[in-house]
Amino acid sequence: MSQHIDLPQGTLDLLILRTVALGPQHGWAISERVQQLSSNVLRIQQGSLYPALHRLERRGLIKAHWGVSDNSRRAKYYELSKAGRKQLEVETDTWQKLTAAVAQVLGAA
Amino acid sequence: MLSDLLFRLRALMRRDSVESELDEELRSHIEQQVEKHIRSGMAREEAIRQTRLQFGGLDQVKEDCRESRGVNFVETSFQDVRYALRQLRRTPGFTFTSVVTLALGIGANAAIFTLVNAMLLKSLPVADPKTLIRIGDAYQCCVNDGAVASGDYALFSTNTYEEFKKNTPEFEDLAAMQAGFAFFDPLSVRRVGGGGNLAHSSVGEFVSGNYFQTFGLKPEAGRLLIDTDDVKGASVVAVMSYEEWRKDYNGDYSVIGSTFSMNTKPVTVVGIAPKGFYGDRLTTAPPDFYLPMKQIATVEDAEYVDNPDSMWLYVMGRVKPGVNRLALQAKLSARLRHILASGKNFSTANDKPLLEKAHVILTDGGGGIQIMQLAYTSKLNLLMWISGLVLLIVCLNIANLLLVRHISRKAEVSIRAALGAGRVRIIRQLLAESIVLAFLGGTAALGVSYLATHMLLTLAFPGENNVPIQATPSITVVAFALAVSLVTGILFGVVPALIAAQFKPVDALRSGTRATVGGASLVQSGLIVLQTSLSLILLVGAGLFAASLDKLQNTDMKLESKNRYILHIDPQAAGYLPSQMEALYRTIEERFHEVSGVLKVGISTVTPMEAHNNDDPIQIEGRPDPHKMAAWNRVNAEYFDAVGTRVTMGRGIEPQDTPSRPMIAAVNQAFVKTFFKPGENPIGAHFGEPGSGPKDATIIGVVEDTVYTGVRMKNHPMFFVPILQRAASDKRPIDKVGALYAGTIVLETARPIRDMESIARKTLAAVNPDLTVVKFQTLDQQIADRFADQRMISRLMTLFGVLALLLATLGLYGVTSYAVARRSSEIGIRMALGSERGQVIAMILRGAIFQVVLGLMIGIPAALFCVRFVRSQLYQITNADANVIINALAALVIAACIAAFVPARRAAAIDPMQALRAE
Repeated sequence: MSQHIDLPQGTLDLLILRTVALGPQHGWAISERVQQLSSNVLRIQQGSLYPALHRLERRGLIKAHWGVSDNSRRAKYYELSKAGRKQLEVETDTWQKLTAAVAQVLGAA
Repeated sequence: MLSDLLFRLRALMRRDSVESELDEELRSHIEQQVEKHIRSGMAREEAIRQTRLQFGGLDQVKEDCRESRGVNFVETSFQDVRYALRQLRRTPGFTFTSVVTLALGIGANAAIFTLVNAMLLKSLPVADPKTLIRIGDAYQCCVNDGAVASGDYALFSTNTYEEFKKNTPEFEDLAAMQAGFAFFDPLSVRRVGGGGNLAHSSVGEFVSGNYFQTFGLKPEAGRLLIDTDDVKGASVVAVMSYEEWRKDYNGDYSVIGSTFSMNTKPVTVVGIAPKGFYGDRLTTAPPDFYLPMKQIATVEDAEYVDNPDSMWLYVMGRVKPGVNRLALQAKLSARLRHILASGKNFSTANDKPLLEKAHVILTDGGGGIQIMQLAYTSKLNLLMWISGLVLLIVCLNIANLLLVRHISRKAEVSIRAALGAGRVRIIRQLLAESIVLAFLGGTAALGVSYLATHMLLTLAFPGENNVPIQATPSITVVAFALAVSLVTGILFGVVPALIAAQFKPVDALRSGTRATVGGASLVQSGLIVLQTSLSLILLVGAGLFAASLDKLQNTDMKLESKNRYILHIDPQAAGYLPSQMEALYRTIEERFHEVSGVLKVGISTVTPMEAHNNDDPIQIEGRPDPHKMAAWNRVNAEYFDAVGTRVTMGRGIEPQDTPSRPMIAAVNQAFVKTFFKPGENPIGAHFGEPGSGPKDATIIGVVEDTVYTGVRMKNHPMFFVPILQRAASDKRPIDKVGALYAGTIVLETARPIRDMESIARKTLAAVNPDLTVVKFQTLDQQIADRFADQRMISRLMTLFGVLALLLATLGLYGVTSYAVARRSSEIGIRMALGSERGQVIAMILRGAIFQVVLGLMIGIPAALFCVRFVRSQLYQITNADANVIINALAALVIAACIAAFVPARRAAAIDPMQALRAE
């Protein structure tokens, strides 16, 4: 297994939004997807995934509905709402600016 | 925002489905994870274990999800309350004790507060009570002729009132009202016409014509009094109170405009006062009728209405906005001195300093004339302090009960903490329990307070049904009760909750029931010590008041009360003229002597231990005016024997003292002490009203100081004159001398006569059917009535003291029981190692008694210190004597021994084998 990095504060929401932007996903799949997309570097603490999902749902950034998963199991699917899409753009932008700035500082040193 | 709200609402309303969805979601996640592990080649058990480890505490995650859904606070509050109710149901003994404790403590406080609110804080039911101002702050009553020694005037003559009214434009309206209506004989009222209407006693108050206008009142029906009613010679009209109208006349509108006979004079009722208006002051017997003050000359033959030196009115008015009160006060004081200077009380140069002192003080009039308030403020304050102390004890008790309960539940709490329940959540649940408990207690307290207020009112005003005070707790009181109970619950829920939350789960789980919680038991002991000392203070207080009452009742009143009966009569109301009194008294004496068993028939103005007192200023002939008063009483020849007053010098009043002979007087020893130098012989001296006038009365004897108004006024100077004799200088026609009317008949019998009342009524009715017995009592009952206040205070103190004792006992019992339960294994080991049962009992008792003794050691000096706060309310008691303290100590120690002995015996009954096996 490659090395894991714990998620910095506040990035979990961004990752979730980005993941469900690709299409409706259920909770387990979201955590798998993040792990997969980050080449196993990022690993979501499973205990904090669901509270985050419920929080985003409450804030209206994602919508939830019950559906049937690939292996014909009932599952709760989350998808991006209109507000969520806007929020994703804003946060992605902010994140990129932040990382670019941090990289610049680190590079200059 | 709206969607957020809807979301929360859905979560709240459809709690069960949301909850099961959460379950399903998480379960499905775990299943998929397990399957993933299995796919990667793990064994099933290992896969499940790995998943659980990765996931963390399932309940914790659920809790976090609920938290982030944002419904948590309301949601969990519901849960907490439900949980608390379930817990309380599981321990009915604890719940019952706590609720009863709270109900009694809060109920007592709410009852006292209801009374305080009704008596001290409430305004008169009139328009804009804030702008009402009373001229005068003192309690003076009822018809006074002399100068006021302190110079502080509160009672005024008709003339002074009219001068004030004419010369102070600062008042929008200035009204006057009779000061002493409550103390005079009631009006004898009968509706004229219709036939068969019996006369009955009603309370009448004489007021100025603008009385109702000043208060801004509208009539319930008909009209109220107006200025033109209050003129000499106008036909006499009256306004009836709403309560009297409903009670005696069924709200019949034909009452308005109809004629009534009041003291045999025709009076037209012109209207009904507004509902709820009980007059200008709080009193046990509010007026049934309001009459124009000038008509008191007609209805009661009162001459003082026209005498510029006779002060009989209270004055109250409504000031115009922007008037400076101090300037107005100075102006009125100057005006008063100007008016008094022309009166006969200040005619000599000697009186100059007294005149210069004369002044008035303006007070708020919105609460009415504060007579009852003056009488009850100190008592109510005392009661508030006492009930506050009881509430404190209640809180300590509840705190202790909750503490014991939470500690004994620490295993449960620890397990829940180990399962992932947050500390905040646990504290919240414990707090919820306290609040639910406080709420239950507060609700029960409302019932208790209603009953307790009723009891207080009955105790405070025995036999009075018209007191305008409702026992129903007001909104304020309800709020007060709930606030007190909630604060108690939160305050005393926090401490145990904090202590409980300190348990480290691991410690608690490891050490089972044996863990000692040093901090908590120290708090518990502290609470017991405090409770004990507070109870001691209350018990000592109860003892002091009981001793004070005892002293009061056992005062030598210099009278005989055995086989004595008192009949109050009102010949004037029956239509008699003073000139007819001589014949009437002779008939009364003859008829009552015909009753078998009657030894003496006394007739007098007043009797001993009656609320009445008629003070006159007195000067001895040939001496300077001492500016001192003496009370007078007109009596017949058998009177002194009838009440048991002994003659100590000279002679008493005798049959030879007929109306035609020069006026003589018997004086009491206090009179001699007040007006003569020590050793002087008063016999033969003449006295009379101060001033240059003749001194008509000759002293022929000295009698003992029989107590008249009350024990606190014993040794009051008094003089007694033959009931029908008049001063030689009194040239008024006899029918103007109202003093000749007797107020009472005193009968001394050879033996107790059970149906004396009906015999007396029949005998009087045979003399004249209009001559009714206004009030019938034995002298013993009359004396007991004068101690009603003291008895009320003493009873309440005893009640509170016993309550405190009970609570302290309960507290000690609870804590000791808990200690025994906690130490059962230790005790088992001790007994297995050879401890005797006696030793075990002694060990438990020692622990309990130690706390009590510590409490007593704090309590005794505290109680001694607190005596100073109640000293003014005690009679001839300045300090807690050994008796009172020993009694209180004994009560507490006995109660403590019982409270500790029951659990101690339980400890001794522990079976060592079982206790050890339970480990």
